[in-house]
Amino acid sequence: MRRRLKTRILITGAAAGIILLAVIFAGVIAPNDPYTTNALAIRKAPCADYPFGTDNLGRCVLSRVLYGGRTTIAATFFLVFLSFLAGTFIGMICGTCGGWADRLLMRIADILLSFPQMVVAIAVAGILNGGMKGAMIALGITMWVSFARLARSHTMSIRQEAYISSAILAGKSRLNIICTHIFPNLLAPLFTNALTQVGTTMIGLSGLSFLGLGVIPPTAEWGSMISEARAYIQIAPWAVLAPAAVTILTIVVFNYLGDLVMEYRETQG
Amino acid sequence: MNETVLQIRDLNAFYGQEQVLTGVSLSLKKGEVLCVAGESGSGKSTLLGVICGDHQPVSGAERTDRSSLLRIESGEVIFQGEELIGKRPSQMRKLMGTRIGLIPQNPAGSFNPVRRLDAQFKETLKSHGIGFDRGEIMRVFTSIGLSDPEKLLESRPYELSGGTNQRIAIAFAMLLAPTLLLCDEVTSALDVTTAITVIDELLKLKKEREMSMLFVTHHLGIAREIADRIAIMHCGRIVEEGPAGELLTHPSQEYTRKLLNDVPRMTER
Amino acid sequence: MNPVRRKKSVLRAEHLSKRFTDGKRYTDALSDVSLSLGEGEFLGVVGESGSGKSTLLRAISGLVSIDAGEILCGTERMTGRGPREMGHKLQMIFQDAKSSFDPRFSMERSIRESGRGEWDPAQVRSLIDLAGLDPGLLSRKPTALSGGQCQRMAIVRALYSGAGILLCDEITSALDVSSQAQIVAILRKLKAQRGLSVLFVSHDIALVRVVCDRVLVMKEGHVVEEGLIADVVDDPQDPYTRELIASARRQSL
Repeated sequence: MRRRLKTRILITGAAAGIILLAVIFAGVIAPNDPYTTNALAIRKAPCADYPFGTDNLGRCVLSRVLYGGRTTIAATFFLVFLSFLAGTFIGMICGTCGGWADRLLMRIADILLSFPQMVVAIAVAGILNGGMKGAMIALGITMWVSFARLARSHTMSIRQEAYISSAILAGKSRLNIICTHIFPNLLAPLFTNALTQVGTTMIGLSGLSFLGLGVIPPTAEWGSMISEARAYIQIAPWAVLAPAAVTILTIVVFNYLGDLVMEYRETQG
Repeated sequence: MNETVLQIRDLNAFYGQEQVLTGVSLSLKKGEVLCVAGESGSGKSTLLGVICGDHQPVSGAERTDRSSLLRIESGEVIFQGEELIGKRPSQMRKLMGTRIGLIPQNPAGSFNPVRRLDAQFKETLKSHGIGFDRGEIMRVFTSIGLSDPEKLLESRPYELSGGTNQRIAIAFAMLLAPTLLLCDEVTSALDVTTAITVIDELLKLKKEREMSMLFVTHHLGIAREIADRIAIMHCGRIVEEGPAGELLTHPSQEYTRKLLNDVPRMTER
Repeated sequence: MNPVRRKKSVLRAEHLSKRFTDGKRYTDALSDVSLSLGEGEFLGVVGESGSGKSTLLRAISGLVSIDAGEILCGTERMTGRGPREMGHKLQMIFQDAKSSFDPRFSMERSIRESGRGEWDPAQVRSLIDLAGLDPGLLSRKPTALSGGQCQRMAIVRALYSGAGILLCDEITSALDVSSQAQIVAILRKLKAQRGLSVLFVSHDIALVRVVCDRVLVMKEGHVVEEGLIADVVDDPQDPYTRELIASARRQSL
């Protein structure tokens, strides 16, 4: 069973890799410039020159999807990475120090979690007047919480392990123990969480862009592309379907990968 | 006393390429307690797994990282005239609990850790067609040395110690009163005094309900207390089998003598 | 009068008390517990789970703070010194052998990290031999070792750190009798060859009888009986000790 799980992880991981590569090498793969408008090819159906067709301004949808992926994926990874760092740091402080610092930080986390994440994000992004930076802050404000909670609970359980007591009796300082024993043993569960967060963050970013609270046009981004093109969905459905399909595919791939890795770790015993 | 409840004939089983059970043959009569004794890794828990139809070891943490499942190459396991090997999981589930009971080494894993015990008792008893009698459960709890049964029924397994969970698993087995009870190292996590209480209760079950037991342990002192017959297992084979008193006083095998020597004694010989 | 008592004491705990509070409820894990461990002596502490015997070890090692009492190593007052400093005098071995080692580290690295001075492979090698282990195991991680092998490695690590006192917390209760017998043999060898002093906590009085010189019986945070192991086993005074011994007799061969 584990072998089958491994194969599934490899296949899904390869899919995720292909998506990442396609986006990173958008400049090489994209058949056209994503920002060049072509008045002669407005809302053109998919053809040899424009494999995914063109949009309202005659821009190549495929190229925009590829370049748009850059914006979405880069922002997502940056955001997940930052939340990972911040959350892990906060969680480890809570888990090792306890006391009032722990109580305060965990209450803040509880308050942030008591609202639906998207509602907080919309409110914050609205206050910050949109823009990619605003959207990232809006999502990041709640995203660190899952990392912090996970890091805290794992830190607390690792602290109970006999090897921590052994290290203390060997004279190791608290900082030394955190760096050599606690943090490295936290990485695996936190990494799994980061993988599952990629999908959610992508939905969040694209969602905010769709609502006009994310990237500012003409920058290509999947959510804003869907939003722009939905006005003429009956005339040029490809301009909506292409970014939508790619968004769904990417989210499914990353969520599935996260789930698989989590399952793999659980069956490890 | 002469009806055979369980008959195992020439059982051979593998994990991948490694043979873990070699030509194991055992029989168990009604109302009889057979102890299978051996070191960890001798295959005694695997044997229980085969009877339960898990085709997976009941315990033995070392096994989980081996990806392959247990493969039974030949042999038969006949319980009250029914062949157990090759039974479908749904059929096995029907057998387990009512006719075959299992007290695992780590019973916490077989409970829902966050659900109140009375709810779990009600559900399990109902699924086996037995009425929920709070008084009877509390009587059983008290009889195996669990104090404050009322409070215990209101608590959840994760709040309880390993020893308490162990005894609750025994209480389950006592209420369900199966024909055959499989015990996997049930006393090894318990205090000396508690272990004796549990042994006495199991002996009472045997006497009052003519229950047959297959009792797996590494401790020959415990085996002497409970067993009618003892089978010594080593490297997947039964190396010696006989009536408990005879085997313990006049072991014919070198390995049995070694096992006997390893048990700490209360008096010098 | 008895030969053990006259030996110089290496570790003394006097009137230790520890109360754990959880909201309004509290448990007195230790109430006025005193003990003295002689040089080269094996002192057993028996009692059921919850009797406070593990807390006693953690309190002595400084891993748990005490509410009242004094801890002395030889003539040096150690009360309140904290576990990092206590580690110079004593080391602890735990029940769960596998979790005594960081799962990511090889045995060698774990042992190396526990030493306070220069890395001394020859010393480790001789300890590995003494514990009857294969030196090849040093490059393995804890998951690749059996429970018994891990526990013997834990003994090696504790000795390598150079401490003269070992606190053993139920170190064989998760092992099968054969691995237990190996551990007992190692402890005996250590006693004969190195004059190690050991505080040996176990619920199994039969095992304590085999390993220890003297015994302390604990119940609900109190010491109910103390004496030479042979005296206590042959003629227990306290009713609880009697029950304990009766149960143990039924389980032994």
